[in-house]
Amino acid sequence: MSGNTKLKNGLQAFLDERFNISSLLQIADKKKVPIHKHAVWYYMGGIATMYLAVQFITGILLMIYYVPEISSAHASILKINSKIDFGWFIRSLHSWGANLLIAILFAHLFSTFFMKAYRRPREFTWLTGLLLMVICMAFGFSGYLLPWDDVSFFATKIGLDIAAKTPLIGETVANMLRGGEHIGQATISRFFAIHVIVLPAALLALLGVHLLLVQLHGMSAPGSFNDLPEAKKTYEKFFPDFFYKDILVWILAANVLFALVMLNPWGIGPEADPFAPAPVGIKPEWYFLSMFQFLKLIPPMVGPIEGELFGMVLMGLAALGFVILPFVDNGKSKAWSRFATIFGLLILTGMILLSIWGALS
Amino acid sequence: MNYPIWVVPYLGGPWVIGIMAIIHIFISHFAVGGGAFLALAEELAYKRKDDRIYQYLKDHSRFFVLVTTVAGAATGVGIWFTISLVSPDGTGSLIQIFTLAWALEYLFFAAELATAFVYYYTWDRIDKAAHLKIARLYFIFSCFTLVIINGIITFMLTPGKWTQNHNWFDGFFNETYWPSLLIRLSIMFAIAGMYALVTSSRIKDPEFRTYMVRFCAKWLLPVFILGPILSLWYLHEVPQATIDTIFTGIQTSGVGNFSILARAVYLSLVLSGTVILFAFFGPYLNPRGFTFRIAILFMICGLAVTGTTEWMRELLRKPYVIYDYMYSNGIRKAEIDKISQTGFLQQGKWASGLAQGQDNPTARGEIVFKYQCMSCHTEKGYRAMQKMLGERDRDSIQSFLQMLKEHDKDKNPYLGIMPPLAANDDEIKDLAAYLSTLNQKNKVTPAANICLPAL
Repeated sequence: MSGNTKLKNGLQAFLDERFNISSLLQIADKKKVPIHKHAVWYYMGGIATMYLAVQFITGILLMIYYVPEISSAHASILKINSKIDFGWFIRSLHSWGANLLIAILFAHLFSTFFMKAYRRPREFTWLTGLLLMVICMAFGFSGYLLPWDDVSFFATKIGLDIAAKTPLIGETVANMLRGGEHIGQATISRFFAIHVIVLPAALLALLGVHLLLVQLHGMSAPGSFNDLPEAKKTYEKFFPDFFYKDILVWILAANVLFALVMLNPWGIGPEADPFAPAPVGIKPEWYFLSMFQFLKLIPPMVGPIEGELFGMVLMGLAALGFVILPFVDNGKSKAWSRFATIFGLLILTGMILLSIWGALS
Repeated sequence: MNYPIWVVPYLGGPWVIGIMAIIHIFISHFAVGGGAFLALAEELAYKRKDDRIYQYLKDHSRFFVLVTTVAGAATGVGIWFTISLVSPDGTGSLIQIFTLAWALEYLFFAAELATAFVYYYTWDRIDKAAHLKIARLYFIFSCFTLVIINGIITFMLTPGKWTQNHNWFDGFFNETYWPSLLIRLSIMFAIAGMYALVTSSRIKDPEFRTYMVRFCAKWLLPVFILGPILSLWYLHEVPQATIDTIFTGIQTSGVGNFSILARAVYLSLVLSGTVILFAFFGPYLNPRGFTFRIAILFMICGLAVTGTTEWMRELLRKPYVIYDYMYSNGIRKAEIDKISQTGFLQQGKWASGLAQGQDNPTARGEIVFKYQCMSCHTEKGYRAMQKMLGERDRDSIQSFLQMLKEHDKDKNPYLGIMPPLAANDDEIKDLAAYLSTLNQKNKVTPAANICLPAL
């Protein structure tokens, strides 16, 4: 036996005794991935996880220099951008990464929806995914205010004002987030704590459950694949075949992120002035734009109900549809299946069109 | 200033050259590296008496001949067409300085094309040893096209002793000639490997596909082993002012000033690194899973690296088209002082002709803008003047332009990245008048017959 093989076997035995590596390898060896024409969407979850890792690492690095204090927040971001070696790079990775992460999560969410991956027994995999999406959007909302520039200030103000319209709890929640009736130091402190402690903790816990459920139930396949006779179904091993391809996709996704960072480093606007008038045409981040535009389209009063409240109820019902559908479309009824597809298409098309409209208007 | 101006709205003329050149480089590098690939792979087939490799090479050479002779030639002509329209003064100078070199380039190019066709059409018609010799001959001819064009391209950044003695041979074998030649050769082998991965991924026999995919992946090794050393050698020979611009950019990337070159360097390094990882985790570690789709993605990665690196190389030369001799707007460095005193609109056959009888200051300013600024800026698109001017009024634009006229770097921080403005005081006022109309969104009085229509 050569020295190298001895060392390898020794290391393997050492790890196996402590971490039960061989049983993990056995699980990995059994895990298989269906091969079909929609298989490309399987990569979305992996890309999202990779972008998430980028967010955690760059977020920790930014925390070293960011000061969550009203008179220093903007200056600390300026310092990161202009004085700290490669601070601009880390911040741009964080900001562009956040946008790409949410874009990929949308792709992941709708691709699993249209492949009907939410059906029994994966209802809770789907629901944890939905919650993860909400958490990531909350990350975006809370992180947007932290640089304390004029656009982030007014976009947050508008966002919280809209949230305050939610029946029963809206005003209370908005005041809790603001730390009063106005956005100020208390808001920065709260948003910072939420952004760096509350949301990461919630995300990690939910992500753990989500990934565990994915492992328990295996990869979901679309109906066209499931309907094939067993002999015609083809699979590839998750490890190493799919895993190596996953790495290639991560490399490509990282390339996209790096290209955006290098070609268009993330800047910062003038420091927020709460007493100044809001800049003309202020808009939220692109992932809130469809909701923002939808609310803009609704007249001030719809019958006896306030327009914004009416709009929020409609959006709430649409969101509720995504929560309820896994329990009604269980694959046994073609009518429900068709309804789910049409519902998803309507929401997706509406979001795209409203976002474009919002961006252009 | 001796030729008409080609206006490409929004995108700008240089990007038309850039897009055409990047595609051409990706193909022409394949033409040279692919020659080595054909010769070595055929030698392997010959030694191993492996008909599977012969059959693969037959299929691959059809793809090779089509890509290099059709797409390569079309984009090559396209480059001549666009550089003649966008940078006629620079193109004219290069033709005049390197007349003999260009003649040789065309000779070798014709020989390369002829050999490529002979190679393809003699499969199974001549004996295998003779066919292998044709493959080698093709590689030699294609290498000579690189040997010559490399001298001209490197001359543009490091003209060497040519600036003193105007001896074309000194300009040709300049400081960056050898590192550039070796870097390009190693990149060519890598690109040949990438193209061959596309054809290899189509092989039906899984065992042979695995063998060929691994073989092709190894063609990326030279660039990753030698690339860093050769790049350092290349950068060592680059003018100090260019290195200073890179370091200024590293320090100011976050605020955006003067940092585009530094960011292009980063991007080139990062993309090159990702190609190494892609080659390792893709064709090398998982040759069985290396499908046609992945091969195409890998090609796109390669194209992105090539594009970024060539873009970076072009930026290294800024603000010159021929370093220390001719600025990117076609004005010779030696002429700047004279033009600044006598006026730009008195110079050049075409510019002076356009300005003749033109009394409207805005229209005269537009002529100056189109000749001196449009080689890098557009009105409303790429590096848009409208955006760069921001809220500046006419007076502040004029002060800014006066600063751009300065030759002292302490007074003009843009000197290393922009040509000094070559205009007298009246022309600066005219140019400020024109630029202020962009800012105020007033309708610009067009200068008669100044532009060729954009394609």
